[in-house]
Amino acid sequence: MEIKSGEIKSEVRKYIADNFLLGAQRATLEDAMPLITGGIIDSIGMIGLVDFLESRFEVEFMPREIDVHSLDTVERIEELIRKKLASRKAGVAAGNGQQIR
Amino acid sequence: MPEPESDVLCEWLRHTAAATPDAPAIVEENRVTSFRELFEQAAALALRFVEHGVQKQDRIALVMPKTTDAIVSIFASLLAGAIYVPIHPTWPKERIEATVADCAARLVIEGASFPSRITDRQTGASIAWQTALTSTALTAEDSLPRVDAGDPALILFTSGSTGRPKGVVLSHRAVSAFVRWSAREFQICSTDRIACPSPLGFDLSTFDIFNMALCGATCVLVPGHIVWMPRFLAQFVREARITCWYSVPSILAGMLQEGRLAEHGYPGLRLILFAGEVFPGPNVARLQAAIPQAVFANLFGPTETNVVTWYRVLRDFDGSEPLPIGRPCPYATVTMEASSGELLAGGDSLMSGYWNRPGETERAFVTLEGTRYYRTGDRVSLAPDGNYFFLGRLDRQVKRRGFRIELGEIEAALLRQEDILEAAAVAAEDGQMGTVITAFVRARSAGAVTLVEAKAHCARTLPPYMLPDHIVFLNTIPKGSRGKTDYMALGRIVTELNQGLNHGDQERGDQERGPEVHRR
Repeated sequence: MEIKSGEIKSEVRKYIADNFLLGAQRATLEDAMPLITGGIIDSIGMIGLVDFLESRFEVEFMPREIDVHSLDTVERIEELIRKKLASRKAGVAAGNGQQIR
Repeated sequence: MPEPESDVLCEWLRHTAAATPDAPAIVEENRVTSFRELFEQAAALALRFVEHGVQKQDRIALVMPKTTDAIVSIFASLLAGAIYVPIHPTWPKERIEATVADCAARLVIEGASFPSRITDRQTGASIAWQTALTSTALTAEDSLPRVDAGDPALILFTSGSTGRPKGVVLSHRAVSAFVRWSAREFQICSTDRIACPSPLGFDLSTFDIFNMALCGATCVLVPGHIVWMPRFLAQFVREARITCWYSVPSILAGMLQEGRLAEHGYPGLRLILFAGEVFPGPNVARLQAAIPQAVFANLFGPTETNVVTWYRVLRDFDGSEPLPIGRPCPYATVTMEASSGELLAGGDSLMSGYWNRPGETERAFVTLEGTRYYRTGDRVSLAPDGNYFFLGRLDRQVKRRGFRIELGEIEAALLRQEDILEAAAVAAEDGQMGTVITAFVRARSAGAVTLVEAKAHCARTLPPYMLPDHIVFLNTIPKGSRGKTDYMALGRIVTELNQGLNHGDQERGDQERGPEVHRR
């Protein structure tokens, strides 16, 4: 799955606006706005957000990664997803290598 | 092991530490603490408290997640004759400070970082987290005060309808009544591994901590970050070989919904207790089918009384009927006020009163034929077979995911924002989400407060579990004929909003929804 630049952020903004802000505010959700510590997303909302990220970007979270710090802003969420996508890509490549051998 | 005679909670630990010193008392991920270690650490810390001038019944605020250190602090406080006041570290700073001030805590223990930090609020001095018991300290154990079962042991702060959390004061005897009964009824023993994911500030967590001390069972701490993550939690229950589980139904329902519960067996899991909110019948039946060997029981009672009624789920329960809240526990005296259907609860587990609130304490109790009862505010019915059923609340208290929330407290929090002139919160049941809270506000002028600002304001004053799911701006808050907020009308707006959202209406972005609703 190819993820275009900016797509992660816009998908995350849309999800947050739809689920936590009654559909409003998508345009004004700034990259560095605190989502969890800022009261926009509660702890259960955070679990829903993780479910969304996992299914939308086909990544998997470990329990330790689901914390307030790494999911508190659109910026950090993007960073985390990028990291996961990159490591998945590397994982897939390694897997292919094994198959060839 | 013979049961200790005393109802003083810390004496249970002393007794068990002498009887089975090497048995595991607490398991926290890879850290195992034996009864000897737990008692010695708690005693060492208690001595430090006393040396430092802590007096009997001084309050010690524990701003800590549920960790080994927190449990050491609990027993240290009790051994020092003090009262422990658990405060969840995820509460906003403002609320933590207000609660610490309200109970006039002598010491504050902060456990979010390592090592835990102890501060004397009178002098501002720090006390080192020192739990090593020196040989001189062992003999100095005599300097610990004598504690009576009637002394207050803890204060649990719960949502207050006037906007300030109120402290429920519970004595050693009150906690003992519930714990001793539960130990007998469910045959808790030294081989049990008990898990209760409730934070220390909830009465549920008296079950695991004090059954550990009373019965020599192991208290297995549930890592805080997985409590609401069903797939990791189910794995934890299995791998940590939990035998007894006690939580709010929402956590169990989450594990059911996640769907992987039935994929694995939980052979050691023999007891599942739940309390705090209504557990829909079909879910109970499904859970029982998934874990067929376990005994299931519904426990019922507010923080002010702890558990007062209980019901053992029948083997053939099919979920087609609501689950009763059951019959009174042997230590409880329970009756129903005929006119209102309100459940009145008395007996040994009753709170001493609200901390520092004589007026509210007075109003909370009623004396009938010489027995003192707490007015629960719960509307119940009594079936011919002696089982009570929960019907609803007589006031505006709601339960969301087992957390008790006064809608009035959310309103009071919103009203502290100077540009919010009116606020009204309503709760609605949503099949998937459970209880959803919507707060309606009228601002000084359009654009005076944005939605994000209103949410951030709430997060600065309310604990995370109390935050409204939605905040909706209205030009006018609907009023009834007497000028009082028309909550029914607001409930209808919530229904309309939900219907709108379900029809893909969220694509409308910043447009207004209906003539009255402003979304910012």
